[in-house]
This record gives sequence, C-alpha cells and structure tokens, in this order.
Amino acid sequence: MTTTDEELVARAQGGDVESFNQLIVRWERPIYALAYRVIGKEEDARDVCQDAFLRAYRALPGFKGQAKFSSWLYRIALNLCRDWIRRQRRAPVSQLPEDADAIEMASETGPVESIEDLVARRELSAIVEEAMSELSEEQRTAIILKEYHGMTFQEIADMQGCPLSTVKTRLYQGLSLLRRRLEQQGQLTPELVKRV
Amino acid sequence: MNDIFQCGDSAALVAYLYDECAPDEQALIAAHIKGCAACASEIDALSATRRTLAAWTPPDLALGFRITREHEPRPAKILEPKIAWWRAPLPAWAQAAAALVIFAAGLSVGAIRNTNTAPPQTAAAPTVATEVNTQPATASVTPDDLAKLEKQLRSEMAQRTSSSPATQVAARGSDDTLLQQVKGLIEESEANQRRDFTLRMVELAGNVENQRRVDLASVRQQMGLQQGAIGTELRQQREVLGRLVSERTR
Repeated sequence: MTTTDEELVARAQGGDVESFNQLIVRWERPIYALAYRVIGKEEDARDVCQDAFLRAYRALPGFKGQAKFSSWLYRIALNLCRDWIRRQRRAPVSQLPEDADAIEMASETGPVESIEDLVARRELSAIVEEAMSELSEEQRTAIILKEYHGMTFQEIADMQGCPLSTVKTRLYQGLSLLRRRLEQQGQLTPELVKRV
Repeated sequence: MNDIFQCGDSAALVAYLYDECAPDEQALIAAHIKGCAACASEIDALSATRRTLAAWTPPDLALGFRITREHEPRPAKILEPKIAWWRAPLPAWAQAAAALVIFAAGLSVGAIRNTNTAPPQTAAAPTVATEVNTQPATASVTPDDLAKLEKQLRSEMAQRTSSSPATQVAARGSDDTLLQQVKGLIEESEANQRRDFTLRMVELAGNVENQRRVDLASVRQQMGLQQGAIGTELRQQREVLGRLVSERTR
C-alpha cells in the first residue's frame, strides 16, 4: 500500500528525513517540469527545483496541512520561478539549440522511436516552446498548471491568487494566441483540427 | 455559471473544453455546439491546440535530490587567544586614518615652522640626506664621524629656525605667490621630516655603537673573570698534584 503524502509529511515533521526524501522522489519530476516550462532553462529549472525542496524542508515544521502538500510545494516552486523571472527580465522560455544533433538526440531515447520521428517531435516541441514564450507569464502559468499538471480552475486560482473567472479568461486567451501562432507555423492543419 | 449559455461565452467554452462544468451545463453546451458551427469550430481548434501542447516535454535531466541531514552541523567554533584591546591589530581603515592624521600633523608642524623661517632651501636637505644614507652605520663609521654629522645637522636646523620670515610675508600678495608659498611649505615640511629622520637615525646609530662597545667590554670582563677562575683552579690542582708526588717520593 502506497504511503500518502500526508503520512510522509507527518513523519518528516517528526524528524524522519527519509520520509521527506520519499516526497522528493515523488514530486521532483513534476516540480522540475513546472519550473522548466515556466522559466525555460534546464539548469536554472533544476536549481529552482532543488531550492523549492530545500525551502519546503525548512518550512515543514510550519506546514499545518491547510492545503495539499503538492499544492503547497507547487506554490513554493511557482514563487521561486517568479523571482527568477523578475531577476532575469527577459524572455523566459529557451529555444532548442539550432545545432542540436539528431544522432545525439536519438541516443537520448529508447530505440522504439525512429530518428525522423524524434526530430519531428523535437521540432514540434521547440515550436510549442516558442509559442508559449510569447504568452504573458500569467497566461503561460495557467496553461502549464492546467495542461501539464492537471489542476482544477479553483486550484489554479488559489495558486495564482486570482478569481476563478480570471483563470478561465487567461486560459481562453492563452489558448487562442497559441492556436493562432501554431496555425501560422503550419502545425494546426484542418485535418488535425477535425480530428476531434 | 448562468443556466442559459450564450453563444461565444469564452468562459463557458473553456469550462466545457476542460470538462469542468456542471453536468446540466455540459449537456446544454454540447447541444448548442451541435447546432452552432462557430462554437464547434472554436472548440475543435482549441482541442487541437491542446493536443499539440502535449508535444512539449521537458528534458530528461537526472535529478535525484536528497536531504542528507536533518540538521546541518554547526561550524566548529574557532577558539582564538584573547588579545587585549590595546594589543589587537587595528583594522585597515583605522590604520589609514592614523597615517592620515600623522601626515597632516607633520604638514601642519612644517607650516608653523615655516611661518617663522626663510624660503626653503630645498637643495641642501636632500644632499645631506643622501650623504647620510650612503654612509651606512656599520663598523666603518667612527663615533667621531657620527658626532660631527650630528653637530652639522643641529647647526643647520638652528640656522633655519633663527632666519627671518620677511621675504615670505611680503610674498603673500597674489595667488601665485600663495601657491608658491604652499609648495614651499610642503617642501620645507618634507625636508624637515627628512632631516629629523636622518638625525634620529644618526642618534640611533650612535646609541647602537655605544651599546655595542659596552656589551663588548662586559663580555671581555666576564671572559677575564672566568679565565681567572679557571687559572686559579688549575693552580690549585697543580699544587695538590705536586704535593701528592712529593709524598710518594718520600
């Protein structure tokens, strides 16, 4: 039987470091993905992720369980991402390096995907990254939290500290902008759209 | 949300898109979309956009963060010997301030002196200083030499202090002369300081020489005493041996 986050948090609060390490194993990938998508730099996202866990660990005695541990952790990570963006004052989402080597990229994944497929996927990923970078920070964060972390409107509203209606507006406007951008890039063909 | 869905309501469409509206509202919007090409097209395009977003994956970095200790050990306390405040080294700023004060004091002393002295004779002092510096206070310098040099310096200083300030006072008319005066004062002050320093070095060399002589005399005296003691002991031993030999021969 899997131990719940709440149980692990309680043990960690009691001084069991390994329980907190289990929470890290459980949440490091989503937190890193969130940081990477919001700030767009691999190493910086890694640093933000590490910092988020460190801060969470230090602040653990003060965590009373009003919110879910994951929501609390996401909020810490998002605050760190915002701080990072404020410090950088520049386009937060990085581009795929132009000189990305297809063979090197192929070696990073399993043998199931062909190199052509891999390159195509990487290209599409880069296009999405670029399109996302053109959104406002609020729109981008709302879409990331909804699309990649499956949060509800209410959770996003809590995370962003705004009304529910604002979240919906940000999502709609962000998706509409992305749609236009992807259409311009030839990524949203009528066939693709009609697949629904 | 309102019970009546209005065509083009973006908030309602987003809620429908993400399947986050109440069941009755969901049914209402679904029914509307079947009959409204614009809303259907919008939902299709937004859905396709969402599918495309799935292509964006973060790099597969190895993370593996771990908290290794519950509490970081406190750094060991470095025990330093207690130093009295008057013996503790001064911070750099205090040393700089002290140096500045000393320099300013030297300048002002020079300036005060110069108000009562003649225009500086800058050529003489460096010559003396050079002469003194080129004669190291080694054994080749005799006490007579040192005494002579000291006398020479003292007389020179006495001459300067007794000379008339009339020329300087008269020259305070214009800025140029004032500047000249200030420069002169500074040079004079520097020359005075060099001279004082040289004099002190000469005095110090004399003292060292005297001390050396006293030490040498003391060492000689000690050596003489020890030699005397050893001689006496040897004489006594010789006498005892002589006595023993004479007793044996008897």
